[in-house]
Amino acid sequence: MMAMLEMLLRLALWVLLAPLLPGIINRVKAWVAGRRGPPVLQLYYDLARLWQRGVVLSTLASPGFVVGPAVAWVAVLGAALLLPLGPAGSVFGFPGDVLLMIYLLALARFCTAWAAMETGSAFEGMGAAREVSYAVLTEAAIVAAVLSLSVQTGSVTLVTMLAPGTGAGAVLLAAGLFVVLLAENCRVPFDDPNTHLELTMIHEAMILDHSGPPLAVILHGAALKLLFFAVLLTEAVLPVGRLTSAAAAAVLVGGVLVVTVGVGLVESLLARLAFRRVPLLLTTAFLLCLFALLMAWKGGAA
Amino acid sequence: MTPGVLLLFAASALVAGIVAGPWSSRTWLGLTLMATTTALAAALAVLLGSADWNWSSTFPVGGEVLHFRLDGVSALFLVLLSVVGGAGAAYAHEYWSDAEYPNSALRGRAWWGGLVLSMAFVLLASNGLHFLIGWELFTVCAFFLITLDRQNREVRRAGWLYLAASHAGTVCLFAFFCTLAARTGSWELGPMREQSGLAPLFWLALAGFSVKAGVFPLHIWLPSAHANAPSHVSAILSGVAIKLGIYGLVRFSGWLPVPPAAGWVVLGLGAVSALFGIVFALAQNDLKRLLAYCSVENVGIILIGLGGALLGAAQGDARWGQLALAGALWHVWNHGAFKSLLFFGAGSVLHATGTREMSRLGGLWRTMPWTAGLFAIGAMAVASLPPLNGFISEWLVYLGLFEAAASRGATAWAALPVTIMLAMAGAVALATFTKAATVVFLGAPRTQAAETAHECGPFMRGTMLLMAAICCGVGLAPLLFWPAISRAMGDWHPAWANAAPPAALPVLGSVHLALAILMLAAGAWLWRKVHANGLRRRLTWDCGYAAPAARMQYSGGSFAGIAAGWFFWLLQPERTSRRPRGAMPGHASRIERIPETVLERVIVPVSNVVMRGSTAVRRLQHGRLQAYILYLVVGLIALGIFVLIGGSP
Repeated sequence: MMAMLEMLLRLALWVLLAPLLPGIINRVKAWVAGRRGPPVLQLYYDLARLWQRGVVLSTLASPGFVVGPAVAWVAVLGAALLLPLGPAGSVFGFPGDVLLMIYLLALARFCTAWAAMETGSAFEGMGAAREVSYAVLTEAAIVAAVLSLSVQTGSVTLVTMLAPGTGAGAVLLAAGLFVVLLAENCRVPFDDPNTHLELTMIHEAMILDHSGPPLAVILHGAALKLLFFAVLLTEAVLPVGRLTSAAAAAVLVGGVLVVTVGVGLVESLLARLAFRRVPLLLTTAFLLCLFALLMAWKGGAA
Repeated sequence: MTPGVLLLFAASALVAGIVAGPWSSRTWLGLTLMATTTALAAALAVLLGSADWNWSSTFPVGGEVLHFRLDGVSALFLVLLSVVGGAGAAYAHEYWSDAEYPNSALRGRAWWGGLVLSMAFVLLASNGLHFLIGWELFTVCAFFLITLDRQNREVRRAGWLYLAASHAGTVCLFAFFCTLAARTGSWELGPMREQSGLAPLFWLALAGFSVKAGVFPLHIWLPSAHANAPSHVSAILSGVAIKLGIYGLVRFSGWLPVPPAAGWVVLGLGAVSALFGIVFALAQNDLKRLLAYCSVENVGIILIGLGGALLGAAQGDARWGQLALAGALWHVWNHGAFKSLLFFGAGSVLHATGTREMSRLGGLWRTMPWTAGLFAIGAMAVASLPPLNGFISEWLVYLGLFEAAASRGATAWAALPVTIMLAMAGAVALATFTKAATVVFLGAPRTQAAETAHECGPFMRGTMLLMAAICCGVGLAPLLFWPAISRAMGDWHPAWANAAPPAALPVLGSVHLALAILMLAAGAWLWRKVHANGLRRRLTWDCGYAAPAARMQYSGGSFAGIAAGWFFWLLQPERTSRRPRGAMPGHASRIERIPETVLERVIVPVSNVVMRGSTAVRRLQHGRLQAYILYLVVGLIALGIFVLIGGSP
């Protein structure tokens, strides 16, 4: 019973807090540009409004167009629930849960790309193709990062794996995972969430034809994924699991805030990369994670 | 009833089916289904019961006494053969019917029975000579099934390539079994792990069985044979026939001692097959060729698991070896299930539209909703997405690799790069099957044929439903299947008998179940919400473009273009393009073809050189007697000189 209650509590926490992050990013961007910017809670208003709206479906779309985003949302939420939250641990951790987490994100990607291809529009095909192609490199980077944690702790369970090392390895891992976060969440310099040039986008190009509740689910899922990666990054670098509850909560919130503000700053200060340069940056992220892996390897031998 | 009685009954039903097949498709189907069901029962009795079935007669065949043995390993493969053999027969009853193929349907039924029978014979044979006889029979039966539609030139070429490549592999197997018989003094097969002198023979077996299994770069026969065979034949080729290559590797790496390097080589071959196979799959435009190359990838995953198991067994029976072996054996089943499902789906598309080219399809979900939905399940399973069966076996293989890496032993050096390659292969597989499923079934129909497609009938749909149910069932309740896997593991390596399931497996199963229920619930809820809010159907918005046409959709080639571009050094695409020129451009085109690189860039040039050399040498043989006498005289004089200057002949 308690486990059930705890699960629901975590669920509520993830679902309710996620839409805050895009608001913070937008606030940071506005602050750097000297504008007032939208309210931090803007995404909550948008979601509430979209949830009430009617839907225009393409004549070509199958039921997968609506079901796909729902399945993707459940998959991202499932991946988020697998993450341990500091000393509270995770609800159902088991050896190998880290692989389930990675593949749940892949399932979400499959469903989003499926829904994008429903409309027969070239823009959305382009977005879907980019999404699944760049994922090849990000997947390599994520697995290298996970391997480095696994080699360091000798474990394949998220709860025990996320007990990070210190020094150069942690810095490399943080840098690598931060680039992965930017790529997986389609932020600058990989994608520009604000642009109106459909030809240059990834995530936004995939959801051009979505409206109403399905669009709300997609937007919420994207925010959830951002929060998921921010928490993962924080826990992979800071020893959150070894702190007391209060300290851990403070560190987690602080870490997520730092990552979010970092994303906002990157977005304000950098331009989007040309598409042919994207693989280079992703390879760099992979190499960073690979060097973190080598550091973990050497650290254990010494 | 003992497995022996069941198997005897199954064999007689199959023979009766072969005899009755040409006259009545229904009788043949009934007999084949009866045979495969009883064979399945026999295999399950061994897998879930305890004792092996061992039977030898005094009755000699080819000078050797018949000896059959059904243990865990062969029963595991026999289960796969029975399921796909039965399902494929039901599919063929409708797909390759008498009405559509009056000539070849008769032959097809007889050869199908022969193929299932000879494959079962290979699995049961416990004598080297009989193994070879069964192997040859099965190769020949498969050849005649591949070339059922032999009026077509492409089909004949694919058949010959298959036959030639298979026999190149069989040469190695001849050498393997003959040397084995010479060293042990008997054709009898069985566990002989103590005779360490036999270890080098493993390399011969690896070469021979890898050709059949389609391991990169020995896979050259596989894409064209799978693409050109009728779809039920592609399903059994990919689901079962190439697995017999795996069976050979598993069987003889378990029974015979292996050289110390075996695990490393198998692991490396697996990683290369997995990544390169799926990269080739991504670049294909032919739906069935894409599926065929994906088989190369999955064989790679199985070999990664087997390589891990060999290393684990060599290094003190490490636990990660056990996990990797479980993943490999389980993936044999899982790949059999989802790949037959996908080939059945592709066959249904081919049947309805007459083309396998993805650039001519599109929007089929409207006319073929069952095929579209079931193909999507297969695509998710093959991309090893949770909560389906592909994830279970790939998860076990990953777990083995991760634990090997975390143990920091010598194996970790191999486990790290292999894990990263496997992850990349997984991501490319996702891209490949997103492309295959969405370009074929979603969007607008690209041609008239795709627009007027029709759903397949009850038999084809039923077999696809069965395969999809297996994919879901294994994913949602993996624990039910563990005893069978564990039984086979015990027969491969006695120290791993009665292995307990990994503690995480039941948890993973229940997480899968919960996820599946949640996903269905969320999907249904959103669907209802959308309808409650009011739903209008309009033209695709497409940023306001008012006249979208089907040919303006993103094509499969463009979809794969980004990732395939990173591998151009491997794919070596051939491009011919005519650019639009001038103010009023006329006809312009761009054609891209992905060659079978290993075959066209390596094997064909090398064999051309060999052919040219032999043609040149052939000029010496012309039938003029005087010249032959001259050769003799010159040869004698040369020998004489050789002896005179002090050489010893």
